[in-house]
Amino acid sequence: MTILDFKDVSIDFPTSKGVVHAVTNVSLSVDKGRRVGFIGESGSGKTTTALSAMRMLASPGFVSSGEIHLNSLPQSNLLSLSSEEMRNVRLSHISYIPQGAMNSLNPVMRIERQIWDGIVAHEGSVSQSELQRRSDAALESVGLDPKIVASLYPHELSGGMKQRVCIAIGVCLNPDLVIADEPTSALDVITQRHVMQTLRDVQAEIGAGLILIGHDMGLMAQSVDEIAVLKKGELVEFGPVRQIIEAPKHPYTKELISSVPLVGGESFLDPSTASGTKPTEASDPTPLLELRGVSKSYGSLTALHTMNFSLDGTVPKIISIVGQSGSGKSTMGSLMLGFNPPSTGQVLFKGQDINRQSASQALAFRKEVQAVFQDPYACFNPFYRVNHALKFPFERFGLSQGSDHTRQAMEEACKAVGLAPETVLDRYPHQLSGGQRQRLIVARALMLNPKLLIADEPVSMVDASLRATILKNIHDLKDQHGISIIYITHDLATAYHVSDYVMVLYHGQVVEAGPPMEVIGDPKHAYTQLLISSIPWPDLDRDWGSSEDARTALNELAQIEGRHDAIFRGEIPGFSLTQS
Amino acid sequence: MTTQNAAAPETAAPDMGGLTRRQIKRMKRFDNPWRNPKLIWGAALLLGIVALGLIGRMFWDTDMVFTGSGLPRQAPVGFENIRGQIGTWAHPLGTDVTGKDILALLIVGAPNSLYVGVLASLIGMSIGIFLGFSAGFIGGRTDDVIRVGSDVMITIPPLLILVVFQAAYGDISLTIMAILIACFVWQSPTRLIRAQVLSMRESGYVHMARLSGASTGHIMFREMLPNLVPYLFGSFIANVTTSIVTAVGLEVLGLGPQRVPTLGRVIYDAINSGALIQNLWWWWGIPTVLLAVMFIGLLMVNLGLDEVSNPRLRRL
Amino acid sequence: MGRIPASYLINRVTTLVLTVLIAATLIWIIPRLSGLDPASAALGRMAAGGGSVANADQILTQLRESFGLDQPLIVQYLLYIWNTVTLDFGLSTASFPTPVASMIANALPWTIGLMLVSLIITFIIGNLLGALMVWENTPRIWKVAIPSAMVFTSIPPILSGLLLMYVFSTQLRWFPLSGPYGLNVEPGWTLDFATSVLYHGFLPALSIVVVTFGFWALGMRGLMITVQGEDYTTLAKAKGLRPRYILYRYMIRNAILPQITAFALKIGMLVAGQVLVERIFAYPGMGKLLYDAILTQDYPVIQGVSFVIILMTAVAVFLVDLIYPFIDPRIRHGG
Repeated sequence: MTILDFKDVSIDFPTSKGVVHAVTNVSLSVDKGRRVGFIGESGSGKTTTALSAMRMLASPGFVSSGEIHLNSLPQSNLLSLSSEEMRNVRLSHISYIPQGAMNSLNPVMRIERQIWDGIVAHEGSVSQSELQRRSDAALESVGLDPKIVASLYPHELSGGMKQRVCIAIGVCLNPDLVIADEPTSALDVITQRHVMQTLRDVQAEIGAGLILIGHDMGLMAQSVDEIAVLKKGELVEFGPVRQIIEAPKHPYTKELISSVPLVGGESFLDPSTASGTKPTEASDPTPLLELRGVSKSYGSLTALHTMNFSLDGTVPKIISIVGQSGSGKSTMGSLMLGFNPPSTGQVLFKGQDINRQSASQALAFRKEVQAVFQDPYACFNPFYRVNHALKFPFERFGLSQGSDHTRQAMEEACKAVGLAPETVLDRYPHQLSGGQRQRLIVARALMLNPKLLIADEPVSMVDASLRATILKNIHDLKDQHGISIIYITHDLATAYHVSDYVMVLYHGQVVEAGPPMEVIGDPKHAYTQLLISSIPWPDLDRDWGSSEDARTALNELAQIEGRHDAIFRGEIPGFSLTQS
Repeated sequence: MTTQNAAAPETAAPDMGGLTRRQIKRMKRFDNPWRNPKLIWGAALLLGIVALGLIGRMFWDTDMVFTGSGLPRQAPVGFENIRGQIGTWAHPLGTDVTGKDILALLIVGAPNSLYVGVLASLIGMSIGIFLGFSAGFIGGRTDDVIRVGSDVMITIPPLLILVVFQAAYGDISLTIMAILIACFVWQSPTRLIRAQVLSMRESGYVHMARLSGASTGHIMFREMLPNLVPYLFGSFIANVTTSIVTAVGLEVLGLGPQRVPTLGRVIYDAINSGALIQNLWWWWGIPTVLLAVMFIGLLMVNLGLDEVSNPRLRRL
Repeated sequence: MGRIPASYLINRVTTLVLTVLIAATLIWIIPRLSGLDPASAALGRMAAGGGSVANADQILTQLRESFGLDQPLIVQYLLYIWNTVTLDFGLSTASFPTPVASMIANALPWTIGLMLVSLIITFIIGNLLGALMVWENTPRIWKVAIPSAMVFTSIPPILSGLLLMYVFSTQLRWFPLSGPYGLNVEPGWTLDFATSVLYHGFLPALSIVVVTFGFWALGMRGLMITVQGEDYTTLAKAKGLRPRYILYRYMIRNAILPQITAFALKIGMLVAGQVLVERIFAYPGMGKLLYDAILTQDYPVIQGVSFVIILMTAVAVFLVDLIYPFIDPRIRHGG
């Protein structure tokens, strides 16, 4: 029996440039007790479609045609309900688990009250003891201890706990359908697994239908029964998860599946270019970049424990720094760029302490060390056209031989990263997509031809289909332009493919380091193993494990804390790493 | 929610059907934020007052601000005073109890009030930009001192310190008054700019500029300042308002410049001579309305600027 | 509940002490910078203003003493600070030998009463209207009416006071022209007196309220728009809560927090505006006292009144800061 039917639904957004058809003629059904995944990239209409069932479209969007039926209601057409009737449907029949776990709870209200007000809004006055009993039960069902959590305020909880509170709220009235909008997008892989499994367990227990919105094929494969693939507001494919993953019919679905990088799978890099590595000119005994006894603390918190690190630039290499949020990986990046002085030790570039340089040395250092950052939206000054970001450093570093030359260099760099110069260079940043901007930043690095590039999560905010292209652009910098790269990421799979050496950081400490084949292909340290086993694979036969496993894993993690037992898995020439 | 809004236009080619021309016109406002009706109306009101001062001087004898320029207590044209005398075109807005011409007082006084406001605000903004950037960039001790200093100074009402000052010094000129007021209007811009600089300092494009070998000056003035412009304008206008309110307050208390006609001074004289009881409404009423127009103009400009810098305030 | 982080408390106390100290110092330093003997300068101006000065010598001695002019500068300063913080402002020169402190004590209740009433009413009305401007369920008529009322927003209360007084007191004669209560009532705890006070206080309070509520309304509008876009508001709606409940417990409850901080920062400006309103309505508060002192060049009174108003402002800010942790749990837990 189906619980929710979308019948030929179209959704329009009137804008100043005309009406945007965000969703066109989508028809699909969700069965009771089944999990359906809505997958697509940003702008595909997946969230819009799901929200239309809540009748909570962002203004000025509206359902322009079609019907949405919730079959557990006597009067099933949701679009014909009055707003008071619709209010009663929300939470008691359809509940919503929002994307931003961090900000979804009212910051000035205790957790239990945020469960109570939902109950009271639908059932009228309920006795205090009954409320207490039900909020405790709801929190227990998502694995939180009500004695501790119930009377806390949201800011006292971790991200994973907040998201589980949201799940508890979503299921406390036993709805017929739960809509979860990328519920784990702000969480790291280990927490993600735990939260997803909690959601799955609770949903199975109350027998509700589930719509899971997401962009990660791996997560979908591990979590849902059926998948709906959306592209530009149209439903391109809908079917059982096994059919979609193993025998996708639509080319777009194939593209989405192949864009998920796999550890040990086929490389997404073109093998033919890999041979073109050329050594840089002179062999200089001084290492290119050296961290000598470097540590960093903020007050009593140690972000990075003392570390020695030496990278020789003769043969360009890609060194990956892998870790979850709070591991100290970004701190390392900003230390290497000289944005932040270390608390102890020195950061040396070509033997020169980068925090003690004269103005001319500093300029030379800047010319040779460039970076690509995580957020492509923030990297362009909204006041200027995008070419400002390319032109300014080129002229500043004295590389330009006149404006024609600058223009020519910019165009060449754009072409090298696969952008048509005339369509991007004279635009303002807001007119370009995230992928275009990130490629422009890579083009910028290419133009300046530095010796070292720090790439800090360069693809985590870019749509999946573009990730491979951008990583390939970055990889080409090493192969074709002889640039050494420090690749900072949370994603083990991409690190596996692009890097020559991988170090895994946990709480400011290296736990495992060595060539990627060993460290990621065959992890020895408990933390690395945990990370790898928490990755959701787009492979139905490689199960994620039960929520029991996830809980054991979290306990294991608690034990790893504070242990100093880095495992070094082998050396590569021209690079050394030690930590005391 | 925001992701949808941002993403929606990318999805498909928009189609212009289904919208009325009126709707399209209203939405067009989103495309050029500076073409904002509030901003335009506000600026027009302020320009009107400036024009009154400039053009008025050409066509009206401003020497009539002095005592005895005409018969006392004349009503404006079309009205009559208590003694039944009908207003004449010699004094279209009437005269005060000593025979000063109200129109001449307005022509000279209104620009004076604006002048004090703009000058005080300009000085205050300059101090604010300097301190705000210093606090945000240098950080550490400097930041602490500037932050606590502005926190403390923001709670002290400028009017009272100025009253103390005036009581000790007696007469002052317009410019000195503006400078004194400026000492109390740097706090809000300082706080605003400090907060903005602190958040911008960690933004991607400032990091990019640092990577590009940009000097501190370049980062401050070429990368940060242009993005601060709407905020700076808004803060400037708010400060002009505060400065004029303070100046008028001083004048109404009988302080401020004694020999230069200002709108506040006219109101002070009117209240002191019992204009309210004698029903000489034009004497205090017209300057009051003119000041009110000035404040409404400033408010509209400020609201318009708010909408420029925060698109979410713009509504369909 | 009572866990306010110590660092927060220390911070606020420091600000309070610094504010009072800086204000007192400014008041002391300004006349001295003019390079004149403040005592004789004051007396000279008094004589020039009022003709003969009856007990000139006595006043001069008293002034000298209160300024401590025979002492070194630093001692003068410390003496002055001590006197000021113990609220001893010397004797009035205009109505010699009344102590300034007792004049202020008589005027203070009127000012505080008017201030509390007008500030609180303004704050509540302003924020409520600002919230209604954003709320999606606000009746259409309000959505048109409230923005139109914003026209008055930035006009200083003194101008609105003049207009209201003209319309309602001199033309319509609905309200008395001036004074705190009717001439025919005896001050005391009687109903007559109370009604008279309210009747007389209505216009001064109204003239502050009509022009300052817009400030809060506009600020609230911006904050509400931010809160409206927050995920917790979306979730509240998805929870099927009643719109009115969402408005009060989710939106206003969160949007009001920065407004309360702004309240502390704006008190100074609002009090200054009120001083002027008192002067127009001849309300016997601090404003009138200050105005009379300016007319008679009564320097000790000017100093005293200015200092007490700044002190009141600083204490009000301090109190708001003390209450704040109890309405924002994130401060209370040091987050």
